[in-house]
Amino acid sequence: MNLYSLSKLSGIRRLLLAMLALLASCTSTTIDEFRQGETGIGSAETVVVLGRRQASDYETRAEFVSCVGERMGRGENALQIVPEQEFVDAMFPWFEPRTAPLRTRDLERLMAENMVAEKMLDFGVRYIVWLDGHTETTDRSGSISCTIGPGGAGCFGFGSWEDDANFDARIWDVASMTSVGTISTDATGQSYLPALIIPIPLIARVEANACSRLADQLKSFVNGS
Amino acid sequence: MKNTGLNHSVLLLLLLFGLGSCGVSNVVIDGSFPTPNINKMPIAIAVYYDDALKDFAYLEYSETGKEEYNIESGKSHVQLFNVVLPAMFDRVVFVNSMEEVPTLGVDAVFAPAIEEFQLALPAKTKLDVFEVWIKYNMRLLTPDGDYIADWVLTSYGKTPTETFRSIEAAINDAAVVALRDLASSLALSFNQVPEVRDWLNSR
Repeated sequence: MNLYSLSKLSGIRRLLLAMLALLASCTSTTIDEFRQGETGIGSAETVVVLGRRQASDYETRAEFVSCVGERMGRGENALQIVPEQEFVDAMFPWFEPRTAPLRTRDLERLMAENMVAEKMLDFGVRYIVWLDGHTETTDRSGSISCTIGPGGAGCFGFGSWEDDANFDARIWDVASMTSVGTISTDATGQSYLPALIIPIPLIARVEANACSRLADQLKSFVNGS
Repeated sequence: MKNTGLNHSVLLLLLLFGLGSCGVSNVVIDGSFPTPNINKMPIAIAVYYDDALKDFAYLEYSETGKEEYNIESGKSHVQLFNVVLPAMFDRVVFVNSMEEVPTLGVDAVFAPAIEEFQLALPAKTKLDVFEVWIKYNMRLLTPDGDYIADWVLTSYGKTPTETFRSIEAAINDAAVVALRDLASSLALSFNQVPEVRDWLNSR
Protein backbone atom coordinates (compact mmCIF):
# COMPACT_ATOMS: atom_id res chain seq x y z
CA MET A 1 0.00 0.00 0.00
CA ASN A 2 1.52 3.36 -1.05
CA LEU A 3 1.41 6.68 0.81
CA TYR A 4 -1.47 8.00 -1.33
CA SER A 5 -3.72 5.01 -0.55
CA LEU A 6 -2.92 5.30 3.14
CA SER A 7 -3.89 8.98 3.33
CA LYS A 8 -7.05 8.24 1.29
CA LEU A 9 -8.05 5.51 3.76
CA SER A 10 -7.39 7.84 6.67
CA GLY A 11 -9.54 10.55 5.02
CA ILE A 12 -12.45 8.15 4.48
CA ARG A 13 -12.15 7.01 8.08
CA ARG A 14 -12.28 10.58 9.38
CA LEU A 15 -15.32 11.37 7.22
CA LEU A 16 -17.08 8.23 8.40
CA LEU A 17 -16.34 9.06 12.03
CA ALA A 18 -17.56 12.64 11.66
CA MET A 19 -20.81 11.40 10.07
CA LEU A 20 -21.33 8.87 12.82
CA ALA A 21 -20.57 11.41 15.54
CA LEU A 22 -23.29 13.62 14.09
CA LEU A 23 -25.74 10.71 14.02
CA ALA A 24 -24.82 9.65 17.55
CA SER A 25 -25.78 13.01 18.97
CA CYS A 26 -29.35 12.49 17.72
CA THR A 27 -31.25 11.64 20.88
CA SER A 28 -34.91 12.60 21.07
CA THR A 29 -36.62 13.20 24.39
CA THR A 30 -40.35 13.69 25.03
CA ILE A 31 -41.66 15.05 28.31
CA ASP A 32 -45.30 14.76 29.38
CA GLU A 33 -46.62 16.62 32.41
CA PHE A 34 -49.91 15.96 34.20
CA ARG A 35 -50.71 18.35 37.04
CA GLN A 36 -53.27 17.43 39.68
CA GLY A 37 -52.67 20.15 42.26
CA GLU A 38 -50.96 23.42 43.14
CA THR A 39 -47.29 23.27 44.13
CA GLY A 40 -44.71 25.50 45.77
CA ILE A 41 -41.93 25.05 48.28
CA GLY A 42 -40.56 27.00 51.25
CA SER A 43 -36.87 27.73 51.79
CA ALA A 44 -36.64 25.30 54.74
CA GLU A 45 -38.48 22.50 52.94
CA THR A 46 -36.80 19.63 51.10
CA VAL A 47 -37.57 17.11 48.37
CA VAL A 48 -36.66 13.43 48.41
CA VAL A 49 -36.30 11.50 45.14
CA LEU A 50 -36.86 7.75 45.50
CA GLY A 51 -36.74 4.85 43.05
CA ARG A 52 -39.57 2.34 42.75
CA ARG A 53 -38.25 -1.21 43.10
CA GLN A 54 -41.42 -3.30 42.97
CA ALA A 55 -41.33 -4.48 39.34
CA SER A 56 -40.33 -8.09 38.88
CA ASP A 57 -38.29 -7.83 35.68
CA TYR A 58 -36.44 -4.53 36.09
CA GLU A 59 -35.37 -2.11 38.75
CA THR A 60 -35.13 1.68 38.73
CA ARG A 61 -31.38 2.22 38.91
CA ALA A 62 -30.06 4.07 41.96
CA GLU A 63 -27.64 5.98 39.66
CA PHE A 64 -30.56 7.43 37.68
CA VAL A 65 -32.34 8.42 40.89
CA SER A 66 -29.23 10.18 42.24
CA CYS A 67 -28.63 11.85 38.83
CA VAL A 68 -32.15 13.38 38.90
CA GLY A 69 -31.72 14.42 42.55
CA GLU A 70 -28.30 16.02 41.95
CA ARG A 71 -29.58 17.96 38.96
CA MET A 72 -32.62 19.24 40.86
CA GLY A 73 -30.26 20.54 43.52
CA ARG A 74 -28.16 22.58 41.05
CA GLY A 75 -28.57 25.79 39.07
CA GLU A 76 -31.32 28.39 39.13
CA ASN A 77 -34.21 27.70 41.56
CA ALA A 78 -32.21 24.80 43.03
CA LEU A 79 -34.07 22.66 45.54
CA GLN A 80 -32.79 21.07 48.73
CA ILE A 81 -32.64 17.36 47.97
CA VAL A 82 -32.35 14.59 50.55
CA PRO A 83 -30.14 11.77 49.14
CA GLU A 84 -32.11 8.56 48.56
CA GLN A 85 -29.89 6.19 50.58
CA GLU A 86 -29.65 8.58 53.53
CA PHE A 87 -33.45 8.91 53.63
CA VAL A 88 -34.18 5.17 53.20
CA ASP A 89 -31.62 4.25 55.90
CA ALA A 90 -32.98 6.84 58.33
CA MET A 91 -36.56 5.64 57.70
CA PHE A 92 -35.65 1.94 57.89
CA PRO A 93 -37.70 -0.32 57.58
CA TRP A 94 -40.56 1.80 56.21
CA PHE A 95 -39.26 2.63 52.71
CA GLU A 96 -37.88 -0.78 51.68
CA PRO A 97 -39.14 -2.36 48.41
CA ARG A 98 -41.67 -4.49 50.31
CA THR A 99 -42.85 -1.84 52.77
CA ALA A 100 -42.70 1.46 50.83
CA PRO A 101 -46.08 3.20 50.39
CA LEU A 102 -47.55 2.58 46.94
CA ARG A 103 -50.43 5.05 47.21
CA THR A 104 -50.92 8.31 49.09
CA ARG A 105 -53.41 6.46 51.34
CA ASP A 106 -50.50 4.24 52.44
CA LEU A 107 -48.43 7.36 53.16
CA GLU A 108 -51.24 8.62 55.37
CA ARG A 109 -51.17 5.35 57.32
CA LEU A 110 -47.39 5.52 57.53
CA MET A 111 -47.42 9.07 58.86
CA ALA A 112 -49.60 7.86 61.73
CA GLU A 113 -46.45 6.16 63.07
CA ASN A 114 -44.85 8.72 65.39
CA MET A 115 -41.28 7.69 64.52
CA VAL A 116 -41.92 8.11 60.79
CA ALA A 117 -43.65 11.48 61.21
CA GLU A 118 -40.80 12.75 63.42
CA LYS A 119 -38.11 11.70 60.94
CA MET A 120 -40.04 13.24 58.07
CA LEU A 121 -40.23 16.48 60.06
CA ASP A 122 -36.48 16.31 60.85
CA PHE A 123 -35.68 16.07 57.12
CA GLY A 124 -38.20 18.82 56.34
CA VAL A 125 -39.63 16.73 53.49
CA ARG A 126 -42.38 18.55 51.59
CA TYR A 127 -42.41 16.45 48.40
CA ILE A 128 -41.64 12.82 47.66
CA VAL A 129 -40.79 12.12 44.01
CA TRP A 130 -41.17 8.46 43.02
CA LEU A 131 -39.18 7.50 39.93
CA ASP A 132 -40.14 4.35 38.08
CA GLY A 133 -38.64 3.09 34.84
CA HIS A 134 -35.66 1.71 33.03
CA THR A 135 -33.64 1.87 29.83
CA GLU A 136 -34.09 -0.88 27.28
CA THR A 137 -31.68 -1.72 24.48
CA THR A 138 -33.30 -2.88 21.24
CA ASP A 139 -32.55 -3.32 17.54
CA ARG A 140 -29.01 -4.61 17.90
CA SER A 141 -27.48 -5.13 14.48
CA GLY A 142 -24.13 -5.57 12.75
CA SER A 143 -21.08 -7.52 13.81
CA ILE A 144 -17.47 -6.85 14.71
CA SER A 145 -14.66 -9.36 14.46
CA CYS A 146 -11.29 -8.95 16.10
CA THR A 147 -8.12 -10.88 15.36
CA ILE A 148 -4.77 -11.11 17.09
CA GLY A 149 -1.58 -12.36 15.49
CA PRO A 150 2.21 -12.06 15.72
CA GLY A 151 2.07 -8.89 13.57
CA GLY A 152 -0.50 -7.11 15.77
CA ALA A 153 -4.19 -7.00 16.49
CA GLY A 154 -7.20 -5.28 15.01
CA CYS A 155 -10.96 -5.22 14.69
CA PHE A 156 -13.20 -4.70 11.70
CA GLY A 157 -16.94 -4.32 11.44
CA PHE A 158 -19.87 -2.20 12.48
CA GLY A 159 -22.46 -2.51 15.24
CA SER A 160 -25.43 -0.39 16.19
CA TRP A 161 -28.25 -0.47 18.73
CA GLU A 162 -31.08 1.68 20.00
CA ASP A 163 -31.61 2.71 23.63
CA ASP A 164 -35.07 3.62 24.89
CA ALA A 165 -35.37 5.19 28.34
CA ASN A 166 -38.85 5.41 29.86
CA PHE A 167 -39.28 6.97 33.28
CA ASP A 168 -42.31 8.20 35.23
CA ALA A 169 -42.03 10.61 38.15
CA ARG A 170 -44.97 10.79 40.56
CA ILE A 171 -44.93 13.74 42.93
CA TRP A 172 -46.54 13.44 46.35
CA ASP A 173 -47.17 16.43 48.57
CA VAL A 174 -46.37 15.32 52.14
CA ALA A 175 -48.19 18.34 53.64
CA SER A 176 -51.55 17.48 52.02
CA MET A 177 -50.77 13.76 51.56
CA THR A 178 -52.00 13.89 47.97
CA SER A 179 -50.52 13.17 44.58
CA VAL A 180 -49.94 16.52 42.86
CA GLY A 181 -48.81 15.31 39.47
CA THR A 182 -46.96 12.95 37.16
CA ILE A 183 -44.16 13.70 34.71
CA SER A 184 -43.25 11.10 32.10
CA THR A 185 -40.14 11.09 30.00
CA ASP A 186 -39.30 9.00 26.96
CA ALA A 187 -35.85 9.32 25.41
CA THR A 188 -34.55 7.33 22.46
CA GLY A 189 -31.23 7.34 20.68
CA GLN A 190 -29.12 5.27 18.32
CA SER A 191 -25.56 4.24 19.25
CA TYR A 192 -22.88 3.10 16.81
CA LEU A 193 -19.70 1.10 17.15
CA PRO A 194 -17.57 1.24 13.98
CA ALA A 195 -14.31 -0.65 14.04
CA LEU A 196 -11.46 0.06 11.64
CA ILE A 197 -8.50 -1.52 13.44
CA ILE A 198 -9.73 -0.05 16.74
CA PRO A 199 -13.42 0.07 17.78
CA ILE A 200 -14.72 3.61 18.29
CA PRO A 201 -17.88 3.73 20.40
CA LEU A 202 -20.29 6.56 19.55
CA ILE A 203 -22.78 6.25 22.35
CA ALA A 204 -26.07 8.14 22.47
CA ARG A 205 -26.46 9.56 26.00
CA VAL A 206 -30.08 8.51 26.26
CA GLU A 207 -30.37 8.03 30.03
CA ALA A 208 -28.30 11.16 30.73
CA ASN A 209 -30.64 13.20 28.51
CA ALA A 210 -33.71 11.67 30.18
CA CYS A 211 -32.20 12.56 33.56
CA SER A 212 -31.45 16.20 32.75
CA ARG A 213 -34.79 16.90 31.03
CA LEU A 214 -36.81 15.19 33.75
CA ALA A 215 -34.88 16.94 36.54
CA ASP A 216 -35.39 20.39 34.95
CA GLN A 217 -39.12 19.71 34.50
CA LEU A 218 -39.46 18.43 38.09
CA LYS A 219 -37.66 21.50 39.42
CA SER A 220 -40.04 23.91 37.73
CA PHE A 221 -43.04 21.71 38.66
CA VAL A 222 -42.15 21.70 42.38
CA ASN A 223 -41.41 25.44 42.34
CA GLY A 224 -44.86 25.95 40.90
CA SER A 225 -43.64 27.80 37.82
CA MET B 1 19.60 -22.10 29.88
CA LYS B 2 18.04 -18.76 30.87
CA ASN B 3 15.45 -19.17 28.11
CA THR B 4 14.40 -22.57 29.41
CA GLY B 5 13.92 -21.10 32.89
CA LEU B 6 11.81 -18.30 31.44
CA ASN B 7 9.74 -20.75 29.40
CA HIS B 8 9.08 -22.82 32.51
CA SER B 9 7.96 -19.71 34.43
CA VAL B 10 5.61 -18.67 31.62
CA LEU B 11 4.23 -22.22 31.42
CA LEU B 12 3.69 -22.31 35.18
CA LEU B 13 1.92 -18.94 35.12
CA LEU B 14 -0.34 -20.08 32.27
CA LEU B 15 -1.11 -23.27 34.17
CA LEU B 16 -1.95 -21.32 37.33
CA PHE B 17 -4.10 -18.91 35.32
CA GLY B 18 -5.89 -21.86 33.72
CA LEU B 19 -6.51 -23.49 37.10
CA GLY B 20 -7.57 -20.18 38.63
CA SER B 21 -10.20 -19.60 35.99
CA CYS B 22 -11.66 -23.07 36.68
CA GLY B 23 -12.07 -22.57 40.45
CA VAL B 24 -15.04 -21.57 42.49
CA SER B 25 -15.48 -17.85 43.13
CA ASN B 26 -15.87 -16.93 46.80
CA VAL B 27 -18.34 -14.17 47.75
CA VAL B 28 -18.44 -13.05 51.38
CA ILE B 29 -21.59 -10.97 51.86
CA ASP B 30 -20.72 -7.58 53.27
CA GLY B 31 -23.14 -4.76 54.00
CA SER B 32 -24.24 -2.28 56.60
CA PHE B 33 -27.68 -2.47 58.18
CA PRO B 34 -29.48 0.48 59.77
CA THR B 35 -31.30 0.27 63.09
CA PRO B 36 -35.07 -0.09 62.58
CA ASN B 37 -37.34 2.78 63.68
CA ILE B 38 -39.93 0.75 65.57
CA ASN B 39 -41.39 0.65 69.06
CA LYS B 40 -39.68 -1.82 71.38
CA MET B 41 -41.71 -4.70 72.78
CA PRO B 42 -41.55 -4.87 76.58
CA ILE B 43 -39.97 -8.33 76.73
CA ALA B 44 -36.53 -9.78 77.48
CA ILE B 45 -35.18 -12.15 74.85
CA ALA B 46 -32.17 -14.47 74.71
CA VAL B 47 -30.80 -14.97 71.19
CA TYR B 48 -29.09 -18.16 70.12
CA TYR B 49 -27.31 -18.58 66.78
CA ASP B 50 -26.35 -22.15 65.99
CA ASP B 51 -23.21 -23.01 63.98
CA ALA B 52 -25.28 -23.74 60.87
CA LEU B 53 -26.42 -20.10 60.84
CA LYS B 54 -23.06 -18.58 61.84
CA ASP B 55 -21.19 -20.52 59.14
CA PHE B 56 -23.90 -20.52 56.50
CA ALA B 57 -22.62 -20.75 52.94
CA TYR B 58 -24.42 -21.51 49.69
CA LEU B 59 -22.79 -23.12 46.69
CA GLU B 60 -24.13 -22.20 43.24
CA TYR B 61 -23.43 -24.66 40.42
CA SER B 62 -23.10 -23.83 36.74
CA GLU B 63 -25.40 -25.45 34.15
CA THR B 64 -22.71 -28.06 33.52
CA GLY B 65 -22.64 -28.97 37.23
CA LYS B 66 -19.38 -27.22 38.12
CA GLU B 67 -19.07 -25.28 41.38
CA GLU B 68 -19.38 -21.63 40.38
CA TYR B 69 -19.97 -19.33 43.39
CA ASN B 70 -19.58 -19.98 47.09
CA ILE B 71 -21.67 -17.37 48.91
CA GLU B 72 -20.83 -16.96 52.59
CA SER B 73 -23.60 -15.08 54.39
CA GLY B 74 -23.42 -16.45 57.97
CA LYS B 75 -21.48 -13.50 59.42
CA SER B 76 -23.70 -10.90 57.75
CA HIS B 77 -26.83 -12.65 59.06
CA VAL B 78 -25.43 -12.51 62.61
CA GLN B 79 -24.47 -8.84 62.07
CA LEU B 80 -28.02 -8.08 60.87
CA PHE B 81 -29.77 -9.85 63.77
CA ASN B 82 -27.42 -8.09 66.23
CA VAL B 83 -28.67 -4.74 64.91
CA VAL B 84 -32.37 -5.57 64.47
CA LEU B 85 -33.20 -7.53 67.64
CA PRO B 86 -32.04 -4.90 70.21
CA ALA B 87 -34.31 -2.41 68.39
CA MET B 88 -37.29 -4.80 68.68
CA PHE B 89 -37.08 -5.84 72.34
CA ASP B 90 -36.50 -4.13 75.69
CA ARG B 91 -33.66 -6.47 76.67
CA VAL B 92 -31.62 -8.76 74.44
CA VAL B 93 -28.98 -11.24 75.67
CA PHE B 94 -26.86 -13.14 73.16
CA VAL B 95 -26.01 -16.67 74.33
CA ASN B 96 -23.52 -19.25 73.11
CA SER B 97 -25.54 -22.27 74.25
CA MET B 98 -29.11 -23.05 75.29
CA GLU B 99 -27.82 -24.19 78.70
CA GLU B 100 -27.04 -20.57 79.65
CA VAL B 101 -30.66 -19.44 79.19
CA PRO B 102 -32.47 -20.57 82.41
CA THR B 103 -30.19 -18.42 84.62
CA LEU B 104 -30.69 -15.21 82.61
CA GLY B 105 -34.26 -14.36 83.63
CA VAL B 106 -35.45 -13.80 80.06
CA ASP B 107 -39.02 -14.29 78.78
CA ALA B 108 -38.13 -16.28 75.67
CA VAL B 109 -35.36 -17.48 73.38
CA PHE B 110 -35.17 -16.49 69.73
CA ALA B 111 -33.34 -18.97 67.47
CA PRO B 112 -33.31 -18.18 63.72
CA ALA B 113 -32.29 -20.74 61.09
CA ILE B 114 -31.73 -20.55 57.33
CA GLU B 115 -33.64 -23.28 55.49
CA GLU B 116 -32.99 -22.45 51.88
CA PHE B 117 -30.98 -20.04 49.76
CA GLN B 118 -31.52 -19.45 46.04
CA LEU B 119 -29.61 -17.36 43.57
CA ALA B 120 -30.80 -16.34 40.10
CA LEU B 121 -28.17 -15.06 37.69
CA PRO B 122 -29.02 -13.06 34.52
CA ALA B 123 -27.11 -15.60 32.41
CA LYS B 124 -29.64 -18.24 33.44
CA THR B 125 -32.88 -16.24 33.82
CA LYS B 126 -32.25 -13.93 30.82
CA LEU B 127 -33.49 -11.02 32.96
CA ASP B 128 -31.40 -7.92 33.62
CA VAL B 129 -31.38 -8.51 37.38
CA PHE B 130 -29.49 -10.59 39.93
CA GLU B 131 -31.87 -12.13 42.48
CA VAL B 132 -31.43 -13.70 45.91
CA TRP B 133 -34.20 -15.52 47.76
CA ILE B 134 -33.79 -16.84 51.31
CA LYS B 135 -36.17 -18.97 53.38
CA TYR B 136 -35.88 -18.90 57.17
CA ASN B 137 -37.30 -20.89 60.02
CA MET B 138 -37.80 -18.57 62.98
CA ARG B 139 -38.22 -20.20 66.37
CA LEU B 140 -39.38 -18.65 69.63
CA LEU B 141 -38.86 -20.91 72.65
CA THR B 142 -39.53 -20.75 76.36
CA PRO B 143 -36.40 -20.52 78.59
CA ASP B 144 -36.89 -24.28 79.17
CA GLY B 145 -36.69 -24.99 75.46
CA ASP B 146 -40.40 -25.60 74.69
CA TYR B 147 -41.84 -24.12 71.51
CA ILE B 148 -43.84 -20.89 71.65
CA ALA B 149 -43.86 -20.30 67.92
CA ASP B 150 -42.19 -21.68 64.84
CA TRP B 151 -42.78 -19.85 61.57
CA VAL B 152 -41.39 -19.46 58.07
CA LEU B 153 -40.16 -16.11 56.77
CA THR B 154 -38.91 -15.44 53.25
CA SER B 155 -36.80 -12.57 52.02
CA TYR B 156 -36.02 -11.39 48.51
CA GLY B 157 -33.46 -9.04 47.03
CA LYS B 158 -32.57 -8.01 43.52
CA THR B 159 -30.15 -5.65 41.82
CA PRO B 160 -29.92 -4.63 38.15
CA THR B 161 -27.03 -5.63 35.89
CA GLU B 162 -24.46 -2.90 35.35
CA THR B 163 -21.67 -2.66 32.79
CA PHE B 164 -18.72 -2.05 35.09
CA ARG B 165 -19.75 -4.19 38.06
CA SER B 166 -18.47 -7.70 38.70
CA ILE B 167 -20.85 -10.64 39.17
CA GLU B 168 -19.52 -11.06 42.72
CA ALA B 169 -20.36 -7.43 43.59
CA ALA B 170 -23.85 -7.79 42.08
CA ILE B 171 -24.49 -10.99 44.10
CA ASN B 172 -23.38 -9.15 47.24
CA ASP B 173 -25.71 -6.21 46.50
CA ALA B 174 -28.71 -8.50 45.86
CA ALA B 175 -27.98 -10.45 49.08
CA VAL B 176 -27.75 -7.20 51.11
CA VAL B 177 -31.17 -6.14 49.73
CA ALA B 178 -32.53 -9.58 50.74
CA LEU B 179 -31.08 -9.18 54.24
CA ARG B 180 -32.68 -5.74 54.60
CA ASP B 181 -35.94 -7.32 53.45
CA LEU B 182 -35.57 -9.94 56.18
CA ALA B 183 -34.97 -7.21 58.76
CA SER B 184 -38.05 -5.26 57.70
CA SER B 185 -40.28 -8.36 57.60
CA LEU B 186 -39.10 -9.58 60.97
CA ALA B 187 -39.36 -6.19 62.64
CA LEU B 188 -42.84 -5.42 61.29
CA SER B 189 -44.46 -8.85 61.34
CA PHE B 190 -43.07 -10.43 64.55
CA ASN B 191 -46.09 -9.63 66.71
CA GLN B 192 -48.50 -10.57 63.92
CA VAL B 193 -47.47 -14.24 63.91
CA PRO B 194 -50.58 -15.90 65.48
CA GLU B 195 -48.65 -17.97 68.06
CA VAL B 196 -46.46 -15.01 69.03
CA ARG B 197 -49.48 -12.74 69.29
CA ASP B 198 -51.28 -15.26 71.54
CA TRP B 199 -48.17 -15.61 73.70
CA LEU B 200 -47.76 -11.82 74.01
CA ASN B 201 -51.46 -11.45 74.91
CA SER B 202 -51.27 -14.19 77.54
CA ARG B 203 -48.43 -12.50 79.41
